[in-house]
Amino acid sequence: MTELRTPDTAQPAEGQPSEGAPPVRKTRQSRAGVTYPRLGLVGWLRWSWRQLTSMRTALILLFLLAVASVPGSFIPQQGVNASAVQQYYVTHPALAPWLNRLGLFNVFAAPWFAAIYLLLFLSLAGCVVPRTIRLARTARALPPPAPRNLARLPSSARLETTLSPDQALAAATTMLSRRRFRMRSSDDWVSAEKGHRREAGNLLFHLALLGVLVSIGLGGVFGYKANRLLVEGNTFADTVTNLDVYHPGRLVSPGDLAPFTMTLNRFNASYVTTGIDRGQPAAFNAQVSYSSKPGAPTRGYDLQVNHPLVVDGVRVFLIGHGFAPVFRITDGAGQVVFNQPVPFIAAETSTYTSEGVIKVPDARPQQLGFIGVFLPTTVSEDGRLESVFPAALNPMVSLVSYAGNLGLDSGVPQSVYQLNTAAMHRLPISPQPLAPGQSIKLPNGDGTLTFTGYRQWISLAITYDPGQMPALLSAIAALAGLLLSFFVRRRRVFVRARAAGDGRTIVHIGGLARSDASGGFETEFAELTQKLRSSLTQKEGE
Amino acid sequence: MPANLGMAQLSNAFLVAALLCYSLAVLAFAGDFAFGRRRGAAAGTQARARVPELVGVGAADGSIAGDAATDGLPAPDSATGDGPANPRSVSKSVEPGTKPGRWVQAALAAVMVGLVAHVLGVITRGLAVHRIPWGDMYEFVTALTCVAVIFFLGLMIRYKAYYLGLFVMGAVVVALGLAQTVIYTAAGPVVPALQSYWLSIHVTAITLAVGTYFVAAVLGVVYLFAERHARRVAAGRPTGSDGIMRRLPAPEVIDSLAYRTVMFAFPIWTFGIIAGAIWADQAWGRYWGWDPTETWAFITWVVYACFLHARATVGWRGRKAQVVQLIGFCCLLFNMVGVSLFITGLHSYAGLN
Ligand code: HEM
Repeated sequence: MTELRTPDTAQPAEGQPSEGAPPVRKTRQSRAGVTYPRLGLVGWLRWSWRQLTSMRTALILLFLLAVASVPGSFIPQQGVNASAVQQYYVTHPALAPWLNRLGLFNVFAAPWFAAIYLLLFLSLAGCVVPRTIRLARTARALPPPAPRNLARLPSSARLETTLSPDQALAAATTMLSRRRFRMRSSDDWVSAEKGHRREAGNLLFHLALLGVLVSIGLGGVFGYKANRLLVEGNTFADTVTNLDVYHPGRLVSPGDLAPFTMTLNRFNASYVTTGIDRGQPAAFNAQVSYSSKPGAPTRGYDLQVNHPLVVDGVRVFLIGHGFAPVFRITDGAGQVVFNQPVPFIAAETSTYTSEGVIKVPDARPQQLGFIGVFLPTTVSEDGRLESVFPAALNPMVSLVSYAGNLGLDSGVPQSVYQLNTAAMHRLPISPQPLAPGQSIKLPNGDGTLTFTGYRQWISLAITYDPGQMPALLSAIAALAGLLLSFFVRRRRVFVRARAAGDGRTIVHIGGLARSDASGGFETEFAELTQKLRSSLTQKEGE
Repeated sequence: MPANLGMAQLSNAFLVAALLCYSLAVLAFAGDFAFGRRRGAAAGTQARARVPELVGVGAADGSIAGDAATDGLPAPDSATGDGPANPRSVSKSVEPGTKPGRWVQAALAAVMVGLVAHVLGVITRGLAVHRIPWGDMYEFVTALTCVAVIFFLGLMIRYKAYYLGLFVMGAVVVALGLAQTVIYTAAGPVVPALQSYWLSIHVTAITLAVGTYFVAAVLGVVYLFAERHARRVAAGRPTGSDGIMRRLPAPEVIDSLAYRTVMFAFPIWTFGIIAGAIWADQAWGRYWGWDPTETWAFITWVVYACFLHARATVGWRGRKAQVVQLIGFCCLLFNMVGVSLFITGLHSYAGLN
């Protein structure tokens, strides 16, 4: 790494590439682009490669990556909040199609975003691979010979001893190699070096970043994500047709889904009941039973937020909940044409006032439809009813009723949460709220609706991501590499010994840290000097 | 479990006391600038004059000595005692004052008393809410300023960087004052999505990192002023704030300190993001989803990585690099304040969807 850092004052020595001249090849031209009058194709390619792998390009690409991410946080993103994107089309009809064309509703999957990070990772590879090779070579090389005048090094000290120069150097060698320095020696000096782990750490860090990218890709190709809403008492099987939302990776086929089934037995939400945090959720528990494949034994599990269920590497998360009021509807012909819970969606989580739609296509003589509001804890406020607490302490439902044609046969797909009232007429019933057990009679003998009670539902996220573990391991490796490269220093220590002529020996010790970003070499050097002094003294005594 | 209101009140009292002590410390640091002993104006330039001498010493490898010399930081305390007796050592010529003056001693005492109150304030808040005491914005700012003060004390003692006191403690007083007034939140429990030990690990790491980045940002700003002053002096132009600037060490020293501070924070920040990803994975089934908070954490991380690279790139060291660092800190602030105010995402702590 130091190789790429040009000191403020010194010219880089030959073979020490400076800006614009990457370490791939030794060249004397420093600012690339200025000194190339005519380039053939090969020259061009080489020049481009050199530019791409230069530190300045890496820096600019890194910056670009940061800047390019910014719109992804301001403009709603398809993958994060698809309904907000829909909403954006409504509120900005002129702008939205343009944003869509530019990929701004899906920034992190946009080609221009990919271009930036792929260039960056290419640059990274082009920078790191040659450095790895160089490190492998220098790791085996001997440290350089000791400079003549050690007193001129940033750290140095002078000692005296009655030992002979050879004995003094031997003592220094023992002391330094015990500390795992790499040694080189001559008649009147030894030189020692340590800290290649720093460069190794830096390389590990950068390679691990490549690893993170590859892992993310792995998840995108072989993983899948799905969502499913499940009402208490109901069961579902993890098959494509049973999932509400299903995003498979590129190479996932329906047969790859884990074949488990799951039943929601009971859901319980508890809330803070007193104080200013009244209504804040305290705990969510979903008691489920599941079977990992058809015929396998059924097991129970207490599904909670932050405690997913894992079946065959597929994980099932509790990510939402709500109320599903149960309605029984008898049509004009006296038939029970509807008797089931209907999931309502909370417009607002502090009171769980929820909205939903009931469609009764089998009702005769006319199809029926209802738009409802469910209030879990109903109170009357100035004659208006509203919910004041998210749990069902006093549940009521209020409905607007329609009769006519639901339009289900038109071929246009409909949301289960929306009622198409174009071909329907509103029935003249006061939207009187119902308590559990209460009914309304529809006019003209169209039938009866009874609000029989409510159940709760949960929404589940089902995910499978084979890149998850590799991503975690890469991230840990990156962190380890970062720590090594930050806190290991590469340093050299030299010792020279010469006879002073009067039977004493002058020992000079000098050292420098080649890369000491976190500091502390001076302390280490002082310690080494101290150790050398005491081992000389000890030898003198023998 | 409901919050313990007595403890919460005790916590508030401690924090007010801490704020008071810190304000006194700022006054004392300012007093040092106004009335304390002055160091020689030349100290900063001396340091730079040494550099060329050292270059080329490592005959075997030219880059070696230059590299060591550019990192012109004062030596840690321990090295000055029995250490190598080399009069040329860069580190020593940079060192402005040896012992803290009376004003600085008073300021240090106030900081330490304030810190004790601050730590007690954080602990009692934790006892009041029965969880780690950095679960909402108010607690977070309170805790991160505590980290900033601890880190700054360490820095000051290790590098004798007393001149930083005015700036760092001034910024701490502002942040803690804002926490106590504008963003104050009464003690309460957290929603289920936040009840996870990975969350505690994540937020703890982020708090540590942000507290440290906070100090680095103050250093960055001080650097920009010092560097501008140095340039004006070099150009022979008069400067207005000579009184303050003369007491600062050479810009390179501040630059190095800021760099080391970021180097300390960056791995913790990286770890915090990883822990956050693990938590997100357990809570929502995906470790990364480009939620606005995640996006801004990524941006911040990349910008700080830019800073670390900028220092290794010719033409980017010094001023430009520090500007990048400050942009990084702005991203951090935006993530803490802007994202929760202007953009809503999963991290807006609304609980389940
Ligand atoms: C994917 C984008 C990248 C990220 C997030 C990144 C991140 C980092 C970080 C955090 C450091 C500081 C850690 C250390 O000093 O070891 C660093 C250092 C370094 N990076 Fe990168 N890097 C990226 C791409 C690159 C590229 C493309 C190159 C080559 C051109 C490169 C070359 C270096 C070098 C030489 C250092 C050492 C700098 C020094 O001595 O201070 N990096 N990188």
